[in-house]
Amino acid sequence: MNSSSALYKRGFKDGLPIAFGYLPLALAIGIAAISAGLKFGNSIFMSLTMYSGTAQAAILNLISGGETIVFTYLLTFFIVNCRYILLSVSMSQKLDPKMSVLSRMAFAPFNTDEIFAVAMQQQGNLGASYLFGLATAPYIAWSLGIILGLVFSSALPPAAGSAFGITMPAMLLALVIPPSRKSKSIAIVVALAAGINILLNINPFVKNFIGAGWSMIICSVVTALAGAIMFPVNNDDSNKEVN
Amino acid sequence: MLSNNSLIIIIFLIGILQYFMKMIPLVFLKEKIKNKFLSSFLYYIPYAVLTAMVIPGVFNSTSSVFSAIIGVCVIIILGLMNQGLLVISLSATAAVFITEKILHIF
Repeated sequence: MNSSSALYKRGFKDGLPIAFGYLPLALAIGIAAISAGLKFGNSIFMSLTMYSGTAQAAILNLISGGETIVFTYLLTFFIVNCRYILLSVSMSQKLDPKMSVLSRMAFAPFNTDEIFAVAMQQQGNLGASYLFGLATAPYIAWSLGIILGLVFSSALPPAAGSAFGITMPAMLLALVIPPSRKSKSIAIVVALAAGINILLNINPFVKNFIGAGWSMIICSVVTALAGAIMFPVNNDDSNKEVN
Repeated sequence: MLSNNSLIIIIFLIGILQYFMKMIPLVFLKEKIKNKFLSSFLYYIPYAVLTAMVIPGVFNSTSSVFSAIIGVCVIIILGLMNQGLLVISLSATAAVFITEKILHIF
């Protein structure tokens, strides 16, 4: 009874709330990209290929910090987004076993935290029609929001000046604070990360020889290890809360 | 300062890296990660890395430490009130802007 176009429509409808959530996020990233000094074209190129708010926020933060080593960018991206591996592993079990390799490869970039969360709430296995329907509206909203943000902030007077330095860090902290309020173990991990990174950056040896990019990577790996040792998470919980 | 060419290379490489991180499990893996330690580590890492990225760097992100502290306070208060990303980042920017204008008066 379920034709593929009916399934596509159902997916599209389920994707609409995600799209409304993405619009302001993309708008904020568009504004932040300009304030980090990116050109219009580069920002659009980045937003269309890097379909991830946290990744873009992290990369823009490094750019405004003046980081020049390409490898630091790649490693930062990998560490911020290694949860995608986990997400995709869980998603792979939700897929219709008959879904073709080609459809799987085409759907892969659209598997974001929110798409994953909605897909996991559905009953039974999911096929290509539903999943592409689900992915359509959020991606359109994402692209639209970025472009609006870029246009909006290009129109701002440059006199707004150094206040925009805090736009990106604000977004990153805003991603961390609400989950810390809900979960005590996340709150402790966040506090630990802040404390350790302050100690690392005060240390003149770290400051002069290791650099802020690497102290950040060392600090986050150590803190996440400590979190995993102190507060192990059940597999079911981690899937539910990761978005 | 990052050159335009390096930036394009970085964006391109990250795009490829991200694609493979998402695609490989989807195409090749059918098993769930059962290792509790590994899945816990993956669960905590985004929070740890996002925090380490901001603190303490944020305190040098504006033209004075004082305005940055005001900005961070605004972020924390609005974050605890469960406000959205756009509201938080724009409010913090506005708070810093106003603080710096006031500092100029003195």
